Amino acid sequence: MDATQTAGGPSPPLPIPDNFPVTWESPTDEMAFWHIDPIHFPTTVTPAMEIFGDAFTKGLDRSFAAYEMPIRLQYRRINTYFYTGNSLPVPPDQLEAQGAKAEARLKEGVAAFPDRWENEWLPEVKEHLAFWDEFDLDGASPDALAEHFDQTRVRLARLWDIHFLLEVPAILSMSLFDEVFKDLLGEEDTLASYKLLQGQGNKTVDGGHGLWSLSKKALESEELRSAITDNPSEGVLPALSATAEGSEFADEFRRYLAEWGQRTDVFCELGSPSWEEDPSTPLTNLKDFMAQPDRDPEAELSLLAVEREKSVADARERLAGYPEEARNQFEFLLARAQSGTKLHEDHNYWIDQMSSNKVRQMVLGVGRRLAAAGSVDSANDVAYLTPNEIREAALSNGTGDRRTTVTERKAEMEHFGAIQPPPIGTPPPEGEPTDPMGIAMMKFFGARPKTSDSADVVSGNAGSPGKVTGTARIIRTLADADRLGQGDILVTTTTMPAWTPLFGTAAAVVTDAGGVLSHCAIVAREYGIPAVVGTGNGTTVVKDGQAVEVDGSAGEVRILA
Amino acid sequence: MANLEFPWLGEQGAHDPRSVGGKAANLSLLAADFRVPPGFCIPSAAFDAVGPKSRDLDAREQDVWAPETEAGERFGALIGAAYSLLAGKTGTPEPGVAVRSSGIDEDGQSASLAGLHDTFLNVVGAHPIADAALKCLASAFTDRAIAYRRDRGIDERAAGLAVLVQYLVPADVSAVAFSADPVTGDRSQVVINANWGLGESVASGTVTPDTFTVSKTDMELSGTPVWDRTVSDKASMTVPVPGGVKEVNVPKMMRSMPCLDEGKATEIGQLAVALEQHMGYAVDVECAFMGDVLYLLQCRPVTTLA
Repeated sequence: MDATQTAGGPSPPLPIPDNFPVTWESPTDEMAFWHIDPIHFPTTVTPAMEIFGDAFTKGLDRSFAAYEMPIRLQYRRINTYFYTGNSLPVPPDQLEAQGAKAEARLKEGVAAFPDRWENEWLPEVKEHLAFWDEFDLDGASPDALAEHFDQTRVRLARLWDIHFLLEVPAILSMSLFDEVFKDLLGEEDTLASYKLLQGQGNKTVDGGHGLWSLSKKALESEELRSAITDNPSEGVLPALSATAEGSEFADEFRRYLAEWGQRTDVFCELGSPSWEEDPSTPLTNLKDFMAQPDRDPEAELSLLAVEREKSVADARERLAGYPEEARNQFEFLLARAQSGTKLHEDHNYWIDQMSSNKVRQMVLGVGRRLAAAGSVDSANDVAYLTPNEIREAALSNGTGDRRTTVTERKAEMEHFGAIQPPPIGTPPPEGEPTDPMGIAMMKFFGARPKTSDSADVVSGNAGSPGKVTGTARIIRTLADADRLGQGDILVTTTTMPAWTPLFGTAAAVVTDAGGVLSHCAIVAREYGIPAVVGTGNGTTVVKDGQAVEVDGSAGEVRILA
Repeated sequence: MANLEFPWLGEQGAHDPRSVGGKAANLSLLAADFRVPPGFCIPSAAFDAVGPKSRDLDAREQDVWAPETEAGERFGALIGAAYSLLAGKTGTPEPGVAVRSSGIDEDGQSASLAGLHDTFLNVVGAHPIADAALKCLASAFTDRAIAYRRDRGIDERAAGLAVLVQYLVPADVSAVAFSADPVTGDRSQVVINANWGLGESVASGTVTPDTFTVSKTDMELSGTPVWDRTVSDKASMTVPVPGGVKEVNVPKMMRSMPCLDEGKATEIGQLAVALEQHMGYAVDVECAFMGDVLYLLQCRPVTTLA
């Protein structure tokens, strides 16, 4: 393939380790560079997730084509891990011309995305979500269920078109604003520009605040307080149901879950129950918030908003004598980056969380038929079937024995779960990206971490400003989150929005993956806590219980003892 | 004591180089016919009372404006009154100004003292202007400046050295235009170099500016006078910031954007032609656009022409 004929010669494909055998689907696959996306999918995923892999790939293809971007990204499940494959859709000698076209398209995209989201995309997203809500999963005929499954996949792929049509210009707008801010004001502080984007609130933050207001209510009554704090998570709802006041509160909590609980602890994972199905995580958050009765997160957010307006006014004053074109660019990108910051989180609620839950519930509908027919042990085992197998199960109304398959697949995930998934395929040329979108993506995924000079210092990307000292808690799954105490430092691999209520408890957050535009960094800024993101190895270098100092602006974690 | 009125550019009183120095007098004459940013001159005599002790070359010391003395208070009040008037003329409550020396040895026709005397850019407020004016005067009494004058047979005591306080137009685009090609000598066209922001980046050559070539004949015929346009990748620009000016990066999306459209390039071409006719020789013009308004900042003969 011509794509390898770059100056300096092609890199050879990476060797494939013996413990990680790979069979390529097509010979050109090996020309792409395949690696784990450590923000979204750091761990193994179930076979049913190929439904998502297919939707992501289609959504990426169609949105990159819409913006004429010379990138191809595929998601594929390899040895139980979600791999992202990067390749070039055009020969290298056409890259520059294609890049110029993309720049023009992206500029239009940056101008238009806030309006398009509001007037075009969000209404369409709601229409798709209603489609799933309206379907009678348990009453449908096998044919209708299989047809519904097909429709589900088509609509899911369309939702991911919208996802990337929005996210590409949203992330780009924040990155471009950061650059224009630094260019014009000569600001050295890496995080200074983000002060002008903070304190707007968003769906991720709203979800946390909803729990805070429930926690305030629970604290007003001794009966509610003891039912929640004196019981383990699984005992809370039964204890509440024992009294009239408690039942009323439990209903309110369920209404909260109906709105905010359509998310899973593990990002998009079809095999992971939603908060609505298993409320342990929000109950842990609720208990944490009740332990901090004096805090008022809404007021904290308002303060961030005041600080934002002050930073905006200050920047405008400094720019007063600048050329009009420069001031216009600043204002144009400020407005887009503010929208982008908010929509970067809001879309996650509307698309990532909602669509994964709708698809999970749909697939569980098939799972219930399988379980009823004795084909699997529990409805949730449906996640261990591939998309084609799920469709076939819908058509056959769950008959046939799939228990061996499920057991083998679980064993396979366990086997590979213990192996660090290696990068495979053909690595891209070395060097940092220079095109605007490449730079923006690097701010999202994070630059390669610098190696620290000192054994006691873990370096990462500056994520959210501030310096704080606390006890490190290595938390790898949300099930483990109750170990996080007030004022502790949350050290983890990655945080998707389901993790962020913990930002109300943690004094700071440190992640292995991510950049200054990752969900983690953005939400940490909205909670006003320091964050160091994309350390690469924070969870292995820092030990649980160690005292550490987190310097969010410097992007450094210092191990004190 | 001498008359302490501060004459304004364009007024009769500012036309006399013996009173306001060569640079200010030149601008004043231009201001009578062209749109020059408003400014006032602090004549040499006005400093006598407030302490040009430095003019006593044997007992030189750093001049410091002492606003608490009677003379200092009077000086400050005069500056304050002139500054209020400038605010009115510019429609800006607190206009930034450039404070520069204007000497008898700077007639604008020969080698200038620029670089020897301090210039203060984007000074805001009456008190800081008074300070800057005194410092500007003091800078004419460094050993280097005195030696420079001695070598050229100019009065060592710099009698008649004045200070010009002029509105610093917060320019969107600044340009240098030549009414004859300074390299080829071709007099049929105007060559314009332009960049975003204030003129310093164009004058000092820190950036490769956009170049426009405007045909003189086509301007008269109102055809398409811009013959040639070379848009360069303008990496930096000079902008006014509190307390001065600063060189900053041009945002990526503006770097390769032409900083003048055809209409504006033509307007600069017309200004250069008008000035050439007015002066009677080929001119080198500094000018700036703020919005749609073109200001003339400086006009000199093209020195490179034979």
